[in-house]
Amino acid sequence: MLPYKHYGLLASVCLMWMAGCSSPYVENNLIEEIAPVVFWSIGEGTEGKLKISTLVPPLIQEKKRLLSKEVDLLKQGGREFNLIYYQELKQGQLRMLLINEELAKKGGIEKMINTILVDPDISTRVYLLIVRGDFDEYIKNQLTKQENQDYFLYRMLKHYEKHNQGEMSIVDIHQFMKMLYSPLKDPILPVFHSDKNNFDYLGTALFQNDKEVMVIQDLDDNIFQLLDNDHFLKVLAIPKLSISLGRVRSNVRMKLSEDYSTLSLHVGLQGRMEEYQGELDIQSEKQLEQLIHEVKVYLEEQTSDLIKKMQRWKVDPLEVGTHSLKPFSKEITEEQWLKYWENMKINVDYEIKVHPLINGSVQVR
Amino acid sequence: MDENTSEIPKTTAEIAEGDEEVRSLFLYNRTSPIGGIYFLFLVNRMQMHYFILIMPVYLVHSYMVWGIIVMGLLSQLNLMMMSKWFNSSYAAKGYQGFLQLFGKRAVQVFAILGFLIILFKISIITLGYVEMLHSFIYPSMNKKWLILMILLISLFVASHGMEKTLRFVIIAFLCGAWIVIMFIPFFFPPIANYRDLYPLIPTEWSGQSWQGLLFIWSAFSGPVYLVFMVPWLSSNKKISKYLVIGNMLTIIEFSLLFIASVLFYGSNFLSKINFPIGYMGSYIQTSGLERIDHILISFHMFNYVFDISILLLSLYGAGRVFMRKMNKGATRIGFLSSWFIILMSIILMDQWLWETIPGQKMLLNIQIWLGAFIYLLVPAILFTAVKRKESM
Repeated sequence: MLPYKHYGLLASVCLMWMAGCSSPYVENNLIEEIAPVVFWSIGEGTEGKLKISTLVPPLIQEKKRLLSKEVDLLKQGGREFNLIYYQELKQGQLRMLLINEELAKKGGIEKMINTILVDPDISTRVYLLIVRGDFDEYIKNQLTKQENQDYFLYRMLKHYEKHNQGEMSIVDIHQFMKMLYSPLKDPILPVFHSDKNNFDYLGTALFQNDKEVMVIQDLDDNIFQLLDNDHFLKVLAIPKLSISLGRVRSNVRMKLSEDYSTLSLHVGLQGRMEEYQGELDIQSEKQLEQLIHEVKVYLEEQTSDLIKKMQRWKVDPLEVGTHSLKPFSKEITEEQWLKYWENMKINVDYEIKVHPLINGSVQVR
Repeated sequence: MDENTSEIPKTTAEIAEGDEEVRSLFLYNRTSPIGGIYFLFLVNRMQMHYFILIMPVYLVHSYMVWGIIVMGLLSQLNLMMMSKWFNSSYAAKGYQGFLQLFGKRAVQVFAILGFLIILFKISIITLGYVEMLHSFIYPSMNKKWLILMILLISLFVASHGMEKTLRFVIIAFLCGAWIVIMFIPFFFPPIANYRDLYPLIPTEWSGQSWQGLLFIWSAFSGPVYLVFMVPWLSSNKKISKYLVIGNMLTIIEFSLLFIASVLFYGSNFLSKINFPIGYMGSYIQTSGLERIDHILISFHMFNYVFDISILLLSLYGAGRVFMRKMNKGATRIGFLSSWFIILMSIILMDQWLWETIPGQKMLLNIQIWLGAFIYLLVPAILFTAVKRKESM
């Protein structure tokens, strides 16, 4: 009995038998034959259809163009793109999913995201954006001016995600899903405004039950960044008091009362005064103190207004609900929490420490 | 007990006497005993396989981490009982030792049961890993190729004999143990929110929680197969120390991975993910490399290959016992046909049961119960048998 004969025989029998079943590799991943997809933009089409579009990127010197299709299903769109383009479009490099605001307000984002999540080609680090306006129009217009617009957009998001440096709410698919499924948290997404010439950050959209219910902008959004998202802002401009604070770090403490009737929110802000255009003489210690006090009162008002708005819409993106969790007691359900949340009294207290605008110490007069 | 080492060449010769063919097949030869440190790696690696990949889905609630610790400590006790057997004179004699303890008939019945249990276990872990390979790396590939490939690799490793396969555990350990380190970033914000871990103690207890405990116990059950490999391992007094350390390592690995996945998903989302640890791997991203999950899953294969090949050798051993071929020596035909039985069993299971969700659930549940039962029974039976013989 020869040693290796049998291994070979057995292996070849198996191989032949299996080769009859199917060929092992059915997907073609030759670099010349595929084209990576960087983003998908999804909007509302006619008659309840989805309108999905993407840029076709060249591997060789070739002009980029925008592909757009109206379809019933997301994946159907991906397939139809393949059929009109000479290369196969692969979603392995998908980095951004842009969803039209109208669609987000209608709800059902979860289903789209699930489609992306189960695709083994696509990683879970795909940025989610809400777009107000017509993104396709913008991209089409930019194609003549700026070639790799899709890639630059990704770089921008990546830049602001790294180190959570404030300014923008950046959310990837996984974070959105985690929030969506957690009973005491509500997901957020960044909202961008787009027209023919511009594509700019607008604010943060708050979601309840997989539906966009409100968008917070400007100072409200800044406060939101400080309270929850990044705890850092490069610039906090308060036009009403003619003051800009810079490099603001926040330290937030939330305390719920035992019966969930009041929330005490203590925010410690540390930063530098970087600009002042107002009337007060900030050289004087007293007037500086007064100014800081004004900032404090103003921020307290704005913050409690913002939280009241959230209460009215029954959203809790600040994850206040998770503070009701205790190591040794049962967690409350989402419905119970929202009932408490709606009627909760809010006490906001800011503590602001800023370096004065002047280099050196403040003179005492 | 001290004569164990001197007995080893004798038993080899005994086996060699039985058949001329033996010279061509040396699967069960013993040349030099393998040191105690191997027990540590063996215990640890045999507990880390398919079950850990799906464990978080079964446990879901953060307080189940206490379940891991409690079950781990119980497993510690179990291993202490087993070390009683490892230290006994019967262990080193291998098959003869079992005969002395239980008699021929009982050993045969055990062998048939063992054969089926091992066959089932190999099938489940292979199917589990192949499913993972299939869903993460080769989604368009026919699964049968993957099954064939991993079994061929295991056949190659196993054909080097029991001793070398046992030594392969070092490679499996070195290639697998560091993976846990990759999951440490999940413990830090922004994804992690420590309040996701609350409540720390269970506020309600349901049938699902009991099943979770059973699952953990079953996940710890790997080292039970060490009982049959003990003739190749040197049995010195200090074995229990290595067993305990190996088991401790597993407890740490289990709880680290479990807590990381609770932090990453939160309990509600976690219960809806089929391969939580796999998807976490795909979330890891560095500036140089993107799909780290592919690398991690590939490295995990060393563990599976080790496990499957050691089980393949055990299966063939059990087959020889119940076919009464024990004193005839190992043959190539016998070895290959047991490999073939495994291949067929896996492919049939895949075809009929694994593809459907209820079928897959049923197979997993059977494996959970089987694993839990044998981990409960085998050490206890051996312990009492050795005690009884000693007192006689």
